[in-house]
Amino acid sequence: MRLLLVEDHVPLADELLAGLQRQGYAVDWLADGRDAVYQGSSEPYDLIILDLGLPGVPGLDVLAQWRAAGLAIPVLILTARDSWAERIEGLKAGADDYLTKPFHPEELFLRIQSLLRRSKGQSNQPTLQAAGLHLDEGRQCVVRDGADIQLTAAEFRLLRYFMLHPEQILSKSHLAEHLYDGETERDSNVLEVHVNHLRRKLGKSVIETRRGQGYLFGGQAS
Amino acid sequence: MRSIQRRLSLGLISVMVIVGLVLAQTSLWLFEVGLQRYLEAGLRNDSESLLVALVRGPQGLQLDERHLSPAYQRPFSGHYFRIDFSDSHWRSRSLWDQDLPLLDHPGLHSNLQLGPGGQRLLILRSDYRRLGQSISISVAQDYTPVSDSFQRMRQIGLGLGLAALLLILFLQRLTVRRALKPLERAREQIAQLQQGQRSQLDDQVPVELEPLVAQINHLLAHTEDSLKRSRNALGNLGHALKTPLAVLLSLASSDKLDDHPELRRILKEQLEQVQQRLNRELNRARLSGDALPGALFDCDAELPGLLATLNMIHGEHLALSYVAPPGLQLPWDREDLLELLGNLLDNACKWADAEVRLSVIERSDGFALSVEDDGPGIPEEQRAQVFSRGTRLDEQTHGHGLGLGIVRDIVDTWGGLLVLGESKWGGLKVVIELPRR
Repeated sequence: MRLLLVEDHVPLADELLAGLQRQGYAVDWLADGRDAVYQGSSEPYDLIILDLGLPGVPGLDVLAQWRAAGLAIPVLILTARDSWAERIEGLKAGADDYLTKPFHPEELFLRIQSLLRRSKGQSNQPTLQAAGLHLDEGRQCVVRDGADIQLTAAEFRLLRYFMLHPEQILSKSHLAEHLYDGETERDSNVLEVHVNHLRRKLGKSVIETRRGQGYLFGGQAS
Repeated sequence: MRSIQRRLSLGLISVMVIVGLVLAQTSLWLFEVGLQRYLEAGLRNDSESLLVALVRGPQGLQLDERHLSPAYQRPFSGHYFRIDFSDSHWRSRSLWDQDLPLLDHPGLHSNLQLGPGGQRLLILRSDYRRLGQSISISVAQDYTPVSDSFQRMRQIGLGLGLAALLLILFLQRLTVRRALKPLERAREQIAQLQQGQRSQLDDQVPVELEPLVAQINHLLAHTEDSLKRSRNALGNLGHALKTPLAVLLSLASSDKLDDHPELRRILKEQLEQVQQRLNRELNRARLSGDALPGALFDCDAELPGLLATLNMIHGEHLALSYVAPPGLQLPWDREDLLELLGNLLDNACKWADAEVRLSVIERSDGFALSVEDDGPGIPEEQRAQVFSRGTRLDEQTHGHGLGLGIVRDIVDTWGGLLVLGESKWGGLKVVIELPRR
């Protein structure tokens, strides 16, 4: 999952970046509204966390410009302005969720998790379920038939992406775009290694390889 | 303060009555004096004719009957005379059995009653010397017809004056009403202002009212502007304080503090206290309170957006609905009402299983807003506790208690009433009764 964080307060951005990366998200960070307008609509993000008090272009205007350009990515607004009038304005500009500062980091992570599931058409349950697997995002491990299977951070990120897109053919470049932030070197060989590790832990049939197309998760289980 | 219209009428009536009476009385008096002068000339003429008619006869002085006017012969004809000599006096035949008294001194006298007809006489006494004797001739004329016609004239004049007064009063009322129309319009507009049906007074007014209307409009704009500015400043302050607070909260839960659980606990506790205090006070400071609203709360325009926002926050599984008379506008500040309803509904959504309903009812004396949910509700004996413990319950458990703190602040500034009850689904029903402004 690749997120864009738009926040101009550097210490808070640092904290959030560290926290989000611990949660297994690839995060790009921007501090200026003008950059955000451009990068938000040009990069394939899965979710955007947007602060409203931004230099350059105000957050609500950034959001309105994205929506006007047809950008459908879920946007979570992060703001210190917590009056209901402002919340409604945020929603009208096209926000999908609204979190007021100060907040507990866990609450932000839960909101992101449920917003991602909602946007992918998954119901909001304690664990992420697909192809007979239960992914516990809090503990970053997968449960199958009541047995815990431990995952590395990279495996967790990959499996979460697969489980949010079950029965869809995902190309290696698509996966690379959504699993790594803008500054990481993208090496498709590394992806193959992680896919193989997942197959070893969960069974070969869980992830199919379609030659020339990419990977398919959960195709046989359904 | 009495109405301007009444004052003007009263002033006008008294002035007109006083001036009219003085004028009428004076002119009548002057006219009467002039008439008497004229009659006096006639009487003097008569008296001189009588003097001429006095001739020396065989037994001294005698009246030459041929020179006498026939009116002196006919009884009570209205013309009389009396001639006084030093030792005797003659009376005209027309006096019949009455006596015309001799006046004390020469000159014109009026208001002498005579005879069975009660004739009022105008008498002129003139003294002469003739044929070696001093003679005093008094000539009288009946003044009754003249004074009768005077009386009639006075009555007619009074009637005419009264009619004119009524007509003038009517016209004055009409004029005043027309002249005061802009004032009346301004009064109506101020009433509309208070009910929130308009945000400015119409500035097409007469010159006299212009400064007043301009000043009121200026004040309204100023109030709205300063409210907006202070809200903005509070927003900025909140932003400046809450963002660092978010950093601290995030730090407090980071794994760097895993070795110091006690430190983490204290940090979190204190930060939360700061946060709650900050939220409460900033929210309270944002309220516009009793000031005239710049923007009204249009139920049909605002409620769908509010409910959609709540659905976004609490999830689509909640069925949020509202009932309000179509086109209803609530005469309070839009942001305050959104804050009130937002917090009430937010609280209801936290507890509800599937359904939350907002009802807005317009009554003759105000409005009733009620929010119901189908959650567990609050047992009756604990409902009172919510109030007796004041806002503590709310402040202690932020996000999990009743979001009543800010709601109570708003309702209090509006002079409303907050009642907790049981909804038809068994959950909590919060009813807020707001008096009309």
